[in-house]
Amino acid sequence: MARSAADRTIAPARDFFEQVGDMMILTGKTIISAVRPPFPYGGEFILQFLFALRLCWFPLLISTVAFGYGAPGLQAANFLVLFGALDRLGGFFVLASIREFAPLVTAIVLAGVAGTAITADLGARKIREELDALQVLGVDPVKNLVVPRFLALMLVTGLFDIYALLFGIFGGILATLVYHAPLGPFWATFFTNASVTDLWGSVLKCTCYGAIIAIVCCYKGMTASGGAAGVGRAVNQAVVISFLGIFAFNYVFTQTLLATHPEINVIR
Amino acid sequence: MSEQEKKDDQPIEPAERVRVVQEAAPGGEEEYRWHTGLNRPTGVPDAIEFIDVHKAFGRNKILKGLNLGLPEGKISMILGPSGTGKSVCIKHMVGLLYPDDGDVLVHGESVPNLRDEELFEMRKKFGVLFQDGALFGSMNLLDNVAFPLRQHTDRSEDEIMGIVNARLAEVGLTDAGDKMPNELSGGMRKRAGFARALVLDPDIVLFDEPDSGLDPVRTALLCELIQEIHQENGGAYTVITHDIMSARRVAEYIAVLWRGRIVEAGPAEELFNSDNDFVRQFLSGSAQGPLGME
Repeated sequence: MARSAADRTIAPARDFFEQVGDMMILTGKTIISAVRPPFPYGGEFILQFLFALRLCWFPLLISTVAFGYGAPGLQAANFLVLFGALDRLGGFFVLASIREFAPLVTAIVLAGVAGTAITADLGARKIREELDALQVLGVDPVKNLVVPRFLALMLVTGLFDIYALLFGIFGGILATLVYHAPLGPFWATFFTNASVTDLWGSVLKCTCYGAIIAIVCCYKGMTASGGAAGVGRAVNQAVVISFLGIFAFNYVFTQTLLATHPEINVIR
Repeated sequence: MSEQEKKDDQPIEPAERVRVVQEAAPGGEEEYRWHTGLNRPTGVPDAIEFIDVHKAFGRNKILKGLNLGLPEGKISMILGPSGTGKSVCIKHMVGLLYPDDGDVLVHGESVPNLRDEELFEMRKKFGVLFQDGALFGSMNLLDNVAFPLRQHTDRSEDEIMGIVNARLAEVGLTDAGDKMPNELSGGMRKRAGFARALVLDPDIVLFDEPDSGLDPVRTALLCELIQEIHQENGGAYTVITHDIMSARRVAEYIAVLWRGRIVEAGPAEELFNSDNDFVRQFLSGSAQGPLGME
């Protein structure tokens, strides 16, 4: 009985760490396959890039404007107006939108929309034994399926980050206008606090989010089992693990960026 | 040094190695009382060998010390009740699964020990017909069958289309070239998968239940086709099935698999006359015998 209780506790933990290890191995294989010739994945890369772009641009637009307006916009404005410091909202948006919310909302939308589509697609192929057939026909699924999705998602998240921070800031502008405040002070504090480090840090972080989403979603799709229900489970797990990976990576990245660039700690 | 120890030190030929392990493998356990492990000689070397292969998925042990040799140049059949690990065997042969213990040899090469590039190269020897055809959903039938030729040969598009159309005609799908896999019936998908498996004239062809989902007439025709193509091209063909009629039609060599081990293996006519109760029951399709519903 004690053994079965231990098994019930240890087995899922072991399973989890095995999966994390497998994803690390898949990441290594993907990077090596991406840079080692031949490069047969050009067409698939373009298709996947356009696919993610087409699926995500509108949900991302709605999410970033609504989120920017609601969370950092109205909430922070409500707080700042107590001190008569609504002009500080621009500076706060550098912290909130550029550094955190734009990459995070982009990653959440990409994982939810494009990532799930990738897992479902690869999972269905796995269930239909298409992936096995591909391997038996001497075609490497990592090079031909994972690499193009990995590169496409990295590129698209990087670009979408800029898109998201523009619309996120637009949400902040809306909040300022709702409080009947002029936009001049908003922009003044925004540009005083904004730095190039903030921008490249945001884009780099978001690009890495794309890599995490691609690896997790491809892995879960390629290891799906148990018919249609198994694909559903894989999609669900892919989203959960992607979010966990993103949040964990965000902690490490933010700590590292702040430690290596102390000047961005100073609120001006 | 004893006579036995001297014998153990001698290098063992691959074909013989399977038989030697088999003699030692079956224990006295109750569930293996029908497993004589007898491997009747065929007189030809083995193209594929399983040496004491164990495979488990979680706690579910599928292969439990499988020893099997599939002879070169013959149509072999792996027969056995559902859920005994027949499809798992095929996946081990092409390196889609690796044994937890033991070894799988293809033309003497250890599949689990191949590096990725070597494995992809080795797989070019194989043609595999999967249970549902495993056609690529994003391509029409012509492109599906042409896929291996485009990947692995430098043939011109006209040559490729010539070969593809000939293969599709052989399986009775001449007019279905433009159709997508989801527009086809299960039987048509299977026949298209058959055409794709054979398009590169591979040395080893594996058929995973080619008769499932086919009507009796199409099954008979498919069996005839397997025989015809084997006569033309030669090579080691392995058919996995639990259909005894198909076995009677095409098998030259039969291995009966149950509970993760070979009950008995050998040339087809000898197996059909076996005095092993389990083999006799299974090959006659009788309800009476050691195999029940459990």
